Amino acid sequence: MTAENDIGIRAAEEFLGPSALADRIRAGPNHEHYVRIEEPEFESAVEHLAANKFVLISLFCCEGFTENAAQTLFYVFERRSSILVLVRGVNGSATSIAGIYPAASWFERECCDGFGVEFAGAFDTRRLFLHETYPEGFHPLKKAFKNAPVLTKDAIDPADEYPFREVSGEGVYQVPVGPVHAGIIEPGHFRFSVIGETIFNLEIRMFYKHRGIEKLAEGKSPQECVRIAEAVSGDESVANTTAFCMAVEKLSQIPVPARAWYLRTILLELERICSHLGDQAGMLVDVAYPLGANQFSVLREECFRENDRLTGSRFLRGMVCPGGLNRDIPKVSVDELAEFARQLRKRYRIGLKIVLSTASVIDRLATTGVIRPALLRPLNITGPAARASGGKVDVRQNHPYGIYDQFAPKPQRLRDGDVLSRFTIKASEIMDSLDLIERLVAAIPEGDVRSDAPIRDGYTLAMVESARGQNLCWVWIKDGVIERYKVRTASFCTWLAIEHAVQGNIVPDFPVINKSLNLSYAGTDL
Amino acid sequence: MVNALTCLLKKKVTEEAPVRDDEVEAIGREIKTAIDAVFGRSLAIRELDTGSDNATEIEINNLNNPFYDVERFGITFVASPRHADLLMVTGAVTHNMAIAAKKTYDAMPSPKFVVAVGDDACTGGIFAGTYAVLGGADKIFPVDLKITGNPPTPTRILAGLLALMKKARKK
Repeated sequence: MTAENDIGIRAAEEFLGPSALADRIRAGPNHEHYVRIEEPEFESAVEHLAANKFVLISLFCCEGFTENAAQTLFYVFERRSSILVLVRGVNGSATSIAGIYPAASWFERECCDGFGVEFAGAFDTRRLFLHETYPEGFHPLKKAFKNAPVLTKDAIDPADEYPFREVSGEGVYQVPVGPVHAGIIEPGHFRFSVIGETIFNLEIRMFYKHRGIEKLAEGKSPQECVRIAEAVSGDESVANTTAFCMAVEKLSQIPVPARAWYLRTILLELERICSHLGDQAGMLVDVAYPLGANQFSVLREECFRENDRLTGSRFLRGMVCPGGLNRDIPKVSVDELAEFARQLRKRYRIGLKIVLSTASVIDRLATTGVIRPALLRPLNITGPAARASGGKVDVRQNHPYGIYDQFAPKPQRLRDGDVLSRFTIKASEIMDSLDLIERLVAAIPEGDVRSDAPIRDGYTLAMVESARGQNLCWVWIKDGVIERYKVRTASFCTWLAIEHAVQGNIVPDFPVINKSLNLSYAGTDL
Repeated sequence: MVNALTCLLKKKVTEEAPVRDDEVEAIGREIKTAIDAVFGRSLAIRELDTGSDNATEIEINNLNNPFYDVERFGITFVASPRHADLLMVTGAVTHNMAIAAKKTYDAMPSPKFVVAVGDDACTGGIFAGTYAVLGGADKIFPVDLKITGNPPTPTRILAGLLALMKKARKK
């Protein structure tokens, strides 16, 4: 993309004026543009971007970036294939933009917990990832805090308990669920306000699994950090490590060999297939249709075993590294993969046909848990969830990385936004991924799988399309080690969509609505 | 009547069982005998995630897929700690989960076992010594067995359970 037709730059010109823009803009190494913004211009700039349909896809903080400012806030905006980052230096306080961009609320609370930045005018100032037992005034991402065990409270005084939104009225009662759930799933708290059986309001509280991923990465070498990126979310290991490595490669201008990108793409698509098969099996379990569920869980287990044959890891771990891949996959295994994909497709079609011709399944999935298209932009909902609600969002098409410019999958789109649409979109995506794997195997070139070019200092933003949508990371390397590793998975944004999707549905349908999105708790809580 | 007859005569919609793997079958037979001896028929497991990266949950869930189908061997996963004989803990114990984790453990009737599954639950893994976690599961309650791996495979988890049942049987 040339600078002239970049809508992000055009928008910045409009709110700053072309002459002022020239010395404030900096092109990042991965097609993103950074624009330094002064406090008086800030609010009108954000309003201008909101009026021009820009989506706030991330907002994060770091220290030591801007002179004369204690913290720097990065507001990342996206429209179509354009990425514009507003860089705002602040000293402990800033005005909130949550009124304009609702997605900013969680981001701002995250910055406040991590760095102690207060957001004036914010409608929600409760702590986010630091729960009640953490001491007051503790901000782990400040550079002054060295990563070490902290003393937390053993018990929570009822007066200090997290205040959930109160919904009152005749016949309204609350149903608290979690953090420990009935099934074998991750922890999170769901506070339902219910009238009879119908959900009137849902508030989700996350971050029970906050493990301090971002702080842990600081001071590590980029190679060591790959293991941390892998731990962000187990079933998105390849997606998150690819995003991290891509950032490192872009900022260091490391050329990645073509064979490495073909293999990475195969791994990314295998990961997507495993994830979608698991979601579909889960949805069928939740509507009490074990026949279909078992069909898909058998196929998924076979995928895990194929993963193991290809890479020695059922979760495809230990493969992606800065510069390419840690090791090659032998030709014979790659050729076998094509046959595996053909067989899988054949059997998947049989299972899918049985499921989609079962009235009781359709009855439970159709019209359940609708995500309205109007929510997509304000909340930055991406991935299959957005594509089932009419969204044209797929990082593989909007910001093609690696070889996706040659192998872009077909754009998939449905409009109803219910659980059935998400089920169907995922089915189409499994088929597309299988097609893509076959095409990649047929076209894969010979050659090295890793470039040993040195890693340099710098910073950039990288995005990939994980099974759940747009996963983003921002990496800043200083003196050869990680200065800041900011991760924002698709799950982080999409949780808020569930709060809206369940309204008016009955409580027993919550599990299937939740499963139809299958968000990662680990990837949200970090 | 005619309809019922056609239904009876129609080809059955059943699937052949997936490939059985001999290792799982062998462990399964042994574990069934051991569970019978220790608990008399069945072992009820409550899974507790205290801060995993979700890969371990997926592998534990896989124990229920038709390849492993551990219910055949007398192993069931239960919805409440009050119904459980054994707590399977995954992930390093985060500060945010510590209180809920202790409550879960306390809600279980005695005698009870605790198994830490995966490197993070065993020792805290890469998160050990950081601000957000207390460490491995043994920091908050006694752990009877540690199954290492990142994550351990379903077969390995099953082998771990067998080792624990054998140990319990000797006591």
